[in-house]
Amino acid sequence: MKKAVVVFVVAALVLITTGLWILSSAGKFTPFDLVTFGIIICVVGFAVFVGYKRLTSARRGEPAEDELSKRILQKTAAWAYYVSLYLWVAMLFIKDRVKLDTEELIGAGILGMAVSFAVCWLIFNFRGVRNE
Amino acid sequence: MNNRIREYRARFNLTQEDLARKVNVRRETIVFLEKNKYNPSLRLAFDIARVFESKIEDIFIFE
Repeated sequence: MKKAVVVFVVAALVLITTGLWILSSAGKFTPFDLVTFGIIICVVGFAVFVGYKRLTSARRGEPAEDELSKRILQKTAAWAYYVSLYLWVAMLFIKDRVKLDTEELIGAGILGMAVSFAVCWLIFNFRGVRNE
Repeated sequence: MNNRIREYRARFNLTQEDLARKVNVRRETIVFLEKNKYNPSLRLAFDIARVFESKIEDIFIFE
């Protein structure tokens, strides 16, 4: 139960921070900001989905995490790390060709890492993990 | 590795949820096991065999 609540707390913190960012921007949004906002909402939606899954497991009297979910998380973290390494190299390549502020570059990199983690998790959750 | 969990579950009249609770894993793990998308740890394999009062090699078939 605690682990499910932690996910919701983190999702809420991200939403609150995004809300503060929107308020401080005073409606001056660039298209890049809107894309960033959309990706943040998707990532928060993914976190809420994971939290909901953990909560329903806990309600059924099952553990929130077991050996399969831990294995999926390990594999996801490993793959997301490799993807992130490549992503940052790609970001540096893009930086030389497209005009981007340092803030935008770092923001896009962090969001890219979050998205790569979510995508890897979905792939392993769908495909399964065989210890072979 | 193949397994006969579904067959044994039917024989013991257990749902996936019942089995999950007995071996202390999530229902999704039983689903993945039955679809051969996950090979269990030795501990989980022993726990499942114990629930079905059988030997591990009767339930899990290594090919």
